[in-house]
Amino acid sequence: MSGKQREDCPDYKKDKKRVDGRKMDQLRPLSIKVGVLPNADGSAYLEWGQNKVYAAVHGPREALPKHTASPYKAVVKVQYRMATFSVPQRKQPRPNRRDMEISKVLAEALERVIFTEQFPNTEIAVFVEVVDSNAGSRVACLTAAACALADAGLPMKDLISATGCGKGFNEIILDLNKEEEDAPDAVDIPLAILPNSNEIALLQMDGLITKEEFNRAIQMGIKGCKDIYEIQKKALAEKFELTELTPAIAKAEVKGEKASATDAAKPSKTEKKEVKAKKVKK
Amino acid sequence: MKKIVVPGELVSSERKKLGGNVYVANGKVYSKVLGITEEEGDIASVVALEGKYMPTVGDVVIGVVNRVVFAGFGINLNSFSDCFIPKSGMREELKQGDVIMGKIEYVNEMREADLEFPRKVFGGEIIQVTAVRTPRLIGKNGSMLDLLKRGTGCELIIGKNGRIWARGGNIELLKKVVKFIDKNSYKSNLTSSIEGLFGIEANSPAPQMQQERVAPNANAKGFAKKAQAPVAEATKATEEFETIEIEGADEASNQSQKDDSEDAA
Repeated sequence: MSGKQREDCPDYKKDKKRVDGRKMDQLRPLSIKVGVLPNADGSAYLEWGQNKVYAAVHGPREALPKHTASPYKAVVKVQYRMATFSVPQRKQPRPNRRDMEISKVLAEALERVIFTEQFPNTEIAVFVEVVDSNAGSRVACLTAAACALADAGLPMKDLISATGCGKGFNEIILDLNKEEEDAPDAVDIPLAILPNSNEIALLQMDGLITKEEFNRAIQMGIKGCKDIYEIQKKALAEKFELTELTPAIAKAEVKGEKASATDAAKPSKTEKKEVKAKKVKK
Repeated sequence: MKKIVVPGELVSSERKKLGGNVYVANGKVYSKVLGITEEEGDIASVVALEGKYMPTVGDVVIGVVNRVVFAGFGINLNSFSDCFIPKSGMREELKQGDVIMGKIEYVNEMREADLEFPRKVFGGEIIQVTAVRTPRLIGKNGSMLDLLKRGTGCELIIGKNGRIWARGGNIELLKKVVKFIDKNSYKSNLTSSIEGLFGIEANSPAPQMQQERVAPNANAKGFAKKAQAPVAEATKATEEFETIEIEGADEASNQSQKDDSEDAA
């Protein structure tokens, strides 16, 4: 209930437009890029409105400390952290109750989609780092983490698409921003689904809402998740473009070598030639 | 038609034989991984584009000694867990960082592997690639491997765990070509592009000079000279490696036969 008094608040039922100009069921602009961190097995970078999130996946690898390992399945460990500069007031870098809770719920959601029983005695470590945030960071993290897992080549049942939905300023809305989350009547429902089977992977709620409003919000959320799924699919496919190769492309990419069978046997001569050619150019 | 699929995406809604990396739910076939699928044919399968090495019986692998204890050696196979070789199983004494090669004899339910005929390899360099893409480096009936060997003049062992051991010849060129293949493994016309790059045809009769064995330490410069006077003694071991490796190559090509059929044509 922080922030504005009820009288100063906008009324979405009258205005038909949200504070940032969006429609009631419109997402903030979302873009995802996969394979951004070379040292991780899989990674993704996501920008969702003002939210900026990095996700990295390591593993399956040996579970350490050893007592955490299970002989039946891989253990999914998630570390959710917010950078100190990701919020207006400096965030204490030590993991607080909220960080630990979000790490736990994200791990449980991701564990649902991975075929963990294929990797006994191992751990799958997922690190999500929020570098900028403006409401809905946990769903942003889950969306990015799902892409990073797929990028790591892990066998999965489905991707996870997540979005916030709920109520703010007297109307059911999709993908709440910080202002809407701080509305006096705000209800925030982070929702994550498996887009192909519509199973729910994560559902939390904060605030007071009627059953009818809740159902409407969830329906709106599922529709939003389907849109996010399309963006995730596109981001993953973008890394690999199905084009045909030609010898010319191969020669251009393996540059610096005018390769042929005879050259290969005498690399020193070709190198000398190249050095000479460079000198001439200069 | 080739198509890129993400985990959970529909591969086929018809009844088909199940290939790799798919699962069935409600009578339909879905992909497990990020990969490429072929719509035609009577097998529903996905060729993975990314992924770690999963030890499989019969694979030729290249390992690095990770730790030495009283009873034996822990070998890193680029997989989830180390493989253990007792000292009685090795003729040579190994140090940390030594490179060995061997064939996987047994994999237990924890995906821990046992190696058959572990052997130390001397000298050379290791090139690391994505493990799921190694079948493309071997090619159908070892066609790509043959091209790489003849095009660069290197001695090569391709481990299915994503490690390539190379010695002699033009290693710098090999590194670039391997990187290129790793990056473009899923594209069509890969073999013909590499043929064009080297200017030789796969599986064509090799020229006389390169059929000769090369001494292990023949560097690129002395390649031509030493090739004419092969050192039989020193290359015995290499020959043995190569026979093992080609067996592995056949298996690999069977697995990715569908994938490679275009290139062979």
